[in-house]
Amino acid sequence: MISEEIFSAIPMRTWRWLNVNEVKVPAGLSAEVKTEKILVEAGESKSVVLDRREPGALEVQAHIADGGELNLIYAQLVDEKDAAASRIKVYVGKGAKFNYTTVEAGAKHTAAELTVDMAGNDSVADVWGLYFGDGERKIDLNYIIRQQGRRTDANMQVRGALLGGAEKTFRGTLDFLEGSKGSVGREDEEVMVLSDHVQNRSVPIMLSHEDDVDGHHAVSIGKMDEGKLFYLMSRGLDLAEAQKLVVEANFQPVLDRIADEELKAEIDAYLQRRLSHG
Amino acid sequence: MAEKKKTYVEDIERTLYDIKNADHSVYKSHSGLTPEIVRDISQRKHDPEWMTQFRLKSLEVYDSLALPTWGPSLEELNMDDIVTYVQPDAKMTGKWEEVPEDIKDTFDRLGIPEAEKTSLGGVGAQYDSEVVYHSIQEDMVKQGVIYTDMETALREHGDIVQEYFMKLVPPKDHKFAALHGAVWSGGSFVYVPEGVHVEMPLQSYFRLNAAGAGQFEHTLIIVEKNASLHFIEGCSAPKYNVTNLHAGCVELFVKEGARLRYSTIENWSRNMMNLNTKRALVEKDGLIEWVSGSFGSHISCLYPCSVLHGENARCEFTGVTFASKGQNLDTGASVIHAAPHTSANINTRTISKAGGKATYRSAVKVTKNAPYAKCSVNCESLMLDNLSRSDTLPVMDIEGDEADIGHEAKIGRISDEAIFYLTSRGIDEEEARAMIVRGFVEPIAKELPLEYALEMNNLVNIELEGTMG
Amino acid sequence: MAEQLLEIKDLHAGVEDKEILKGLSLSVGKGEVHVILGPNGSGKSTLMNIIMGHPKYTVTSGSMEFEGEDMKEMKTFERSRKGLFLSFQTPEEIPGITVENMLRTAKQVITGEKVKLLPFRKELKATMQELKMNPEYAQRYLNVGFSGGEKKRTEILQLLMLNPKLALLDETDSGLDVDAVQIVSEGVAKFHNEENSCLIITHNTRILEHLKVDKVHVLMNGQIVEEGGPELIEDINRRGFTHILAEQEG
Repeated sequence: MISEEIFSAIPMRTWRWLNVNEVKVPAGLSAEVKTEKILVEAGESKSVVLDRREPGALEVQAHIADGGELNLIYAQLVDEKDAAASRIKVYVGKGAKFNYTTVEAGAKHTAAELTVDMAGNDSVADVWGLYFGDGERKIDLNYIIRQQGRRTDANMQVRGALLGGAEKTFRGTLDFLEGSKGSVGREDEEVMVLSDHVQNRSVPIMLSHEDDVDGHHAVSIGKMDEGKLFYLMSRGLDLAEAQKLVVEANFQPVLDRIADEELKAEIDAYLQRRLSHG
Repeated sequence: MAEKKKTYVEDIERTLYDIKNADHSVYKSHSGLTPEIVRDISQRKHDPEWMTQFRLKSLEVYDSLALPTWGPSLEELNMDDIVTYVQPDAKMTGKWEEVPEDIKDTFDRLGIPEAEKTSLGGVGAQYDSEVVYHSIQEDMVKQGVIYTDMETALREHGDIVQEYFMKLVPPKDHKFAALHGAVWSGGSFVYVPEGVHVEMPLQSYFRLNAAGAGQFEHTLIIVEKNASLHFIEGCSAPKYNVTNLHAGCVELFVKEGARLRYSTIENWSRNMMNLNTKRALVEKDGLIEWVSGSFGSHISCLYPCSVLHGENARCEFTGVTFASKGQNLDTGASVIHAAPHTSANINTRTISKAGGKATYRSAVKVTKNAPYAKCSVNCESLMLDNLSRSDTLPVMDIEGDEADIGHEAKIGRISDEAIFYLTSRGIDEEEARAMIVRGFVEPIAKELPLEYALEMNNLVNIELEGTMG
Repeated sequence: MAEQLLEIKDLHAGVEDKEILKGLSLSVGKGEVHVILGPNGSGKSTLMNIIMGHPKYTVTSGSMEFEGEDMKEMKTFERSRKGLFLSFQTPEEIPGITVENMLRTAKQVITGEKVKLLPFRKELKATMQELKMNPEYAQRYLNVGFSGGEKKRTEILQLLMLNPKLALLDETDSGLDVDAVQIVSEGVAKFHNEENSCLIITHNTRILEHLKVDKVHVLMNGQIVEEGGPELIEDINRRGFTHILAEQEG
């Protein structure tokens, strides 16, 4: 996968000048690809934590058989001098559940693709993502959920904060395929922009070939709520402290999903440190 | 009974648009596109030299550009089959009686002269490649308002035209802009001097009668400082079995403190490829309001673009798209915030049914030079069956930290509960559905000129007939 | 005894394979006011929806007649045109259709006559004033952005404008403040006369203040378990539903 220039693409192209059609392979990405396979048997419930510190490319294939449940946590805290790429493909069977929590906070240049195939009827995908960019970091994300079974339920919640001269593109697709009757899908992205030099691109895509669905997406991009900041500052916090608190609060719903207290504390401390520099 | 009446409306409407007049054109270019054809068109149109050169240069650009890699497939369009210039057997006139009978009949049926009498400040009518009629109220002329066809403008106000023509949409923008630059013909020119408010709307109507032809009208509107204008554009064509092409270009210049409302109802027949480019440049405190209804065409690519160039410039975009059988309507809007405190509202509704494909595509760009930019987008899609497709593909590209951007989109079908509620009030299911669909597009309909709102309601009724089991 | 308007006998009905009404019988005569009481989940709202012909529910056995006519094959809009009206517990929000437009359309199809705009507007405005509604609401989209109280008042407005024979009021008073209940109650009282009947689900006796209740039914677990006069309301207010179950079992 490293030999090609394009790492990932959105399912439907748009104007080229917007530069969002493709995720490019990060410069300097090592050619080695690490692969992981996760198999969840029918009726089984499994938790997997991918605590990612190594640069390079990672490929994960997960198969969740009927009635199974996978709790997958992917925390990317790769050194900020390196590039990191990940490609995660998930198959969700009948009545199966995929809970995903991702933290994209490390690396100089991040490219990530997530593809969830909700093939089974009544399958559930609950995807929560957090990204954090500062300095000259580049974050390039492409999440796609394909809803194929009947009565599938997809939820994609993404929270981000951008500082310094960070450049980020988030693409999130909900694809209601023909036959996905009775399915619902929801996608939200909330971005906090904390610096004048940030470039933020958001591409919430919704494709539908089925009328009996209920799809909804929303994006909000902006600086922090001044009311919140004022409230905190009236309680004695200075601007930086107040900002830090608001960003943390925004990340909390994602971080709360990480059951491993040690990892959670580490991510917390990592973000704190980076926020203090910003 | 209400149902009966609907059927009646359907008959009238379809016949109305589909009447084909015999092709009495006095000249047609050869089909296809060569420098010779372009030169020939230019000569027949008595272009000034700079325009001839502009056309030839555009043709070069056209040849150098590839088809777009996104959007509906345009492969079935074969330029070698398209006749780019069809000159009707009529001279431009300001007197309705002088318009030839068959052309006059067409516009009479479409209600154009009637509307002129009652609610318009001026009217233009284009038939195939040339404008056949243009008129404007006397008092408008006295205030210095110019409303004429592009050819006359080129002759009488050549300096203004040369200053603005294809400056906002340069031929190298995309392949069909280049094509337009090479073979454009007809269209309207409006100039509203500083501080003048044009109270009644001006309306141009475009009719493409010839089979296998292209229409490439150019609309150039300049609204000077603190002036205002409402411009209405209507389009239709009879149905043929060959592909017709519409690649018009609209350039709108909204100066400081000026307001322009640009309303369009596009109801081309379903053999039309509608690849239209519209763009507005809005200066300080200016306002552009787009009201856009897309109902016709086989394929449409239409994304009016607003460049908010001056501080506090604003854009309001209201659009509705209805894609039915055999239609692939790719519509939307783009906004470029290039100055501080600029703001935009985009509000769209799309409906797809009977295998139709509707795509909402948009771009919101906030440049570094636009702190405190504000943009809110709301698009809703309604699918009336599962044969159809409905896609939403918005892009937001935001630089800086002082922007406030919100986007919301919904997709779904008519809810059973809403139907139950209305039927519990005695309304039958078919009417309940129609009411809900009309309600869905109502926020758009209320922005349209009355006769267009009625036309849209009729179209919705026609389209909904027979959708109940 | 008054002439029968609605007659339900041994009704079994439910959604998909779940039976909710299990042999329910109930009849409402012309000009009568009936109240249905029952704990949450006993099937009260289901009953209202089934009387109105909600397509989600299936009737498996039993009979339902309105003015002696079998309702089984009647579609929802036909039931409405015969004179049934449901005031919804949670009225639908329908964007793009104004209150006035919906009501005028409904009035037209129910009466089968053309309803002239100006007299209609006048009547609408007067009725809205009675209900202390801001007349601007006539031009607002149906229930969109209305508060809970405004939605309920809009339901009563429709009741008064459409003047059906039987009003089914599904917790029309819930979520209303004291003043609003008073207004709604007066509205219902205005609707009710010798010809028109009411079937009311309520948890609040205040809505009944301006009405003479003829009969009270207690609905539990999909059946009518007790019937009586207005005194039953007082009894249940005091002692709750559990004692009825106990009495039944004992």
